[in-house]
Amino acid sequence: MDYKSAKFKPTDKMGDLINHDYKLLLVMSRFGLSLGFGDKTVEQVCRENGVDAPTFLAVANFIHEGNNLMEANLSQISIPQLMNYLKQAHSYFLDFCLPAIRQKLLAAIDCSIHNEIAFLILRFFDEYATEVRRHMEYEDMNVFTYVAALLDDQRESNYSISVFARRHNQIELKLTELKNIILKYYPEQGNNHLLNAVLFDIFSCEEDLSSHCKIEDFLFVPVVRQLEKKKGII
Amino acid sequence: MKDDVMWIAVAESSAIVRHGMLEILKHFPDTPHPVQLIEVTSLEALDNCMQTHVPDLLIVDPAFEGWFNIDNFKADPQSANVKCIALLCSMVDQNLLRKYDDSISLYDDEEAIYGKISQLFHAAREDEADTDALSQREREIITCVVKGMTNKEIAEKLYISIHTVITHRRNIARKLQIHSPAGLTIYAIVNNLVELSDVKM
Repeated sequence: MDYKSAKFKPTDKMGDLINHDYKLLLVMSRFGLSLGFGDKTVEQVCRENGVDAPTFLAVANFIHEGNNLMEANLSQISIPQLMNYLKQAHSYFLDFCLPAIRQKLLAAIDCSIHNEIAFLILRFFDEYATEVRRHMEYEDMNVFTYVAALLDDQRESNYSISVFARRHNQIELKLTELKNIILKYYPEQGNNHLLNAVLFDIFSCEEDLSSHCKIEDFLFVPVVRQLEKKKGII
Repeated sequence: MKDDVMWIAVAESSAIVRHGMLEILKHFPDTPHPVQLIEVTSLEALDNCMQTHVPDLLIVDPAFEGWFNIDNFKADPQSANVKCIALLCSMVDQNLLRKYDDSISLYDDEEAIYGKISQLFHAAREDEADTDALSQREREIITCVVKGMTNKEIAEKLYISIHTVITHRRNIARKLQIHSPAGLTIYAIVNNLVELSDVKM
C-alpha cells in the first residue's frame, strides 16, 4: 500500500483509491459500485451509479485515515445513502463473511468425535454469530426504522439516536477472543495452511467489524443528531 | 470503561500538535486496556463526542477554541466522570490547572505522558507481567464457571463473598484475555481443568 496522507478527493481516480487502500473495495461494493471502472474518477463512477460521492468519500476517508475523527459538520453526508451502506454491510457480515469463516473453520479443524476442542470452538463461533446477528438486527429494525421515520417527518415518540449511541458496543471483541483461543490453545497439527487461512479471515473480519462500528459511532450517529437538531427534537 | 477499552479524546485546534499527540498515543503500551483514540477539532465536535461516545479521558488544550470551559465540563453530569488532562501549548495560570486532573507539556517525552495517563487510571503497568499465572483459587473458580454455576453458587461453595468471586473473575479475564464463559470452557478443557462431560452445554 502506498503512503498517502491527503484525503481522497472526488477527482481522484477510483483505481488509485483502491490501490492506496484495498479495504476500500468493501466500501465500493457496499455502495453498489462494481469493478470495471476503467480510468474514471470517483465522482464519475459515483454519478453513473447514482451514488452520492461526498457520502462515499466521507466513509472512504474515515476508514483510510483511521484516526476516529469526530467532525462537527457532516452536512455533506446523505443519511439515506449512509444508512443503505450500513445495511449492506450488515448483510455482508451476516450472509457472507461469517458463514464463509465457519466453512473454512470446519475445513481447518478436525471435527472428529475425539476432538473436543474443535467442537467447542465451533460452538463458540456459532454463539458469536448469533450475537452479531442480534446486534445488527436491532439496528436494522429499531435504529434504521427510527431514522427513516425521522426523515419522513414521522417521529416515533421517545426514541432518539443518543439512546442507541449509549448502548452501542463493539462487537468484534468476542471474535478477538476466538482468534486468541485458536492461536494459544488449539492443539498442534502437522499442516497449518488451512488454519492460517481462516485466521487471516478472522483478523480481517475483526478489523472490518471494528471499523463498521466506528462508522456508526463517528459518522452515522453525529449526522442523525444533526438531523434531530434541525427537526427541533433535541 | 466501555468494553474494557480505554477511549481517549484529543481536543486541540493545532493540526500539528493534535496529530503529534495522537501519534504518541497510538503507541501507548496497551496494558491493561487497549486504547482507542478520538480526534476532536472543534467544540461542536466535542459536544457530539460527549453525546454519543463519552471518552474515559479527554486531553484538551486549555486554550481550545479560545477558552476551554473546564468548570462547565466538569459540572455537566454527562462528562463529570471524564478525566481531563491539560495539554499545555502556552503559559497557563496555575489556579486554572488545578481544575484538571493532570497536565502534559509540549516537551514531555513519551514515557512521561504514558506515566501520567496510567497513573490517572491506577494502572500499575510495571507489575502486570509477573502476575499472569493463575492462582489455585482462580483455577477453582474457572472450573465452577465452566460447570455453569452462578456467582452466588460459587461463593457458597468456596466460602467466599460474591464480591470476591467477581474480583477473581475480573482478574481471570485480564490474565487470560478471555471474557466469555464459552471461551473459558475451551481454556479449561485444553488445560485439563475439567472434562467435557462436566461442561454445562
